[in-house]
Amino acid sequence: MIPLQIKNLNKYYEKFHLKDVSFNLDEGYIMGFIGSNGAGKTTTLKAILNMIHTDGGEIRIFGKNYKDHELELKQDIGVAFGGVNFYTKSKISTLTNVVKRFYSNWDEETYFYYLKKFKLDPEKKISELSEGMKVKYSLTLALSHQARLLILDEPTSGLDPVARDQLLETFQELVEDGTRSILFSTHITSDLDKCADYVTYINNGEIIASNTRDEFLDTYRIIKGTQKDFEAVSNNLIAYKNNAFGFTGLVKKSEFKPVNGLLQEKPNLEDIMIYYARREELLNA
Amino acid sequence: MLNLLYKEFKVSIHPLFFLVAVLASALMLIPGWLYFIVLLYFAFISIPNIFAAYKTQNDLMFSLLLPVRRQEIVQARMNAIILLELAHILLTLIFTIIHHLLYNLPMYIFVEPNMAFFGLVFLMFGLMNFSFFPLYFKSAHKYGLAAVAINAVGVLFAAAVELLVLFNKTAHEIIHNTSGNYTQIHWFILAGGILMFVVLNWFAYKLSLKEFEKVDVS
Repeated sequence: MIPLQIKNLNKYYEKFHLKDVSFNLDEGYIMGFIGSNGAGKTTTLKAILNMIHTDGGEIRIFGKNYKDHELELKQDIGVAFGGVNFYTKSKISTLTNVVKRFYSNWDEETYFYYLKKFKLDPEKKISELSEGMKVKYSLTLALSHQARLLILDEPTSGLDPVARDQLLETFQELVEDGTRSILFSTHITSDLDKCADYVTYINNGEIIASNTRDEFLDTYRIIKGTQKDFEAVSNNLIAYKNNAFGFTGLVKKSEFKPVNGLLQEKPNLEDIMIYYARREELLNA
Repeated sequence: MLNLLYKEFKVSIHPLFFLVAVLASALMLIPGWLYFIVLLYFAFISIPNIFAAYKTQNDLMFSLLLPVRRQEIVQARMNAIILLELAHILLTLIFTIIHHLLYNLPMYIFVEPNMAFFGLVFLMFGLMNFSFFPLYFKSAHKYGLAAVAINAVGVLFAAAVELLVLFNKTAHEIIHNTSGNYTQIHWFILAGGILMFVVLNWFAYKLSLKEFEKVDVS
């Protein structure tokens, strides 16, 4: 059963809107949801979770319409927006005591297993935890109620490189048995190099691509040439930058025929994000 | 809803607010005072502080992430506050009994703390809740305007009743005379006040839910 299916999700704000956001997440995989700040990542996640009202679209979780089965499906979902940023002056044990009452599948043994694994002291206050530990506490809560789908908004932002690496390793361990799936948003592209099986890229409220990481990267090429070459390829360029030697630009591999003298390179995720942001700038100029 | 109510009293509402209710209720021991103020301390102190805590603790996000319906969030929040109000009223009643055991005042200038007074108190809390909750649930985190409304409604109601009793002979007679038929009238005012408290809270809930269903979490 597909853990998450999103079809034509729309949300209109005065100055921004989500436009026909669609993507699927398969069971047992990690999907990185990337986009620059303000691209619509958090809005999409909140729309998925019915925290904001949408203007059309369908969200199915484990094959069921989310709006019709919200209560039942929330039992199978673990959600974290950043770390734990509520009731931060409460002790872990106090907050857990409150949270666990809401979940019929709560397993005390699993809870203590993850507390130990993540080295979380139940007597500590939430505010005393580092950002990384807060995310781990969120994961502990989600895993203790046997969540099969984890939706995490920017879990790695604010973490130092070591904590980030550990967390990404944890994500990989969690999906190892093939029963759990993770959707996490980030603007740190190196996170995805380490652990994402799939990448969904959102730019200005629109999904640019949702694919395996390798296929996503293989869709594009960076080309470099002189100003003379620019005229020949300018129509195919998603965006470009001029420099002292000529230009560099991003093209879709399928729409671009190789031209003599032009240098082609495989882009990385950061290149793609930067050029799409550049395109917005050029269109709005 | 019971789990949410547990949450309200375990992490959201500090036990200190029960102490506030005790201390405020003890002001009933002041002889010949404006006793509505004793109850209004709930709006002066408890309401703004409790709802500031909800906001700073990011309760809206926390509550919406739990597997509960929006209507349960409204019910639990309102029930928690109503329970605190009832505790405040009950404590005030206890101190009123002590007040009457301690003093035998020949006359009260302001409204005497009797059954009719408590009927009016229930009506006042009903009106206060009706003004507060629907305004609060327009955002479910901004509480400033709603806190102003609950205080304004409470103070205006108390002032209107006190002035009426002070300057209107019939009203003065009804409230201050405890003999014969008047005792029945006092019980009638109490029952009417309780009924209005229930009805106004019910409408406040309906309007609050309608507002909260529209809220987007920013």
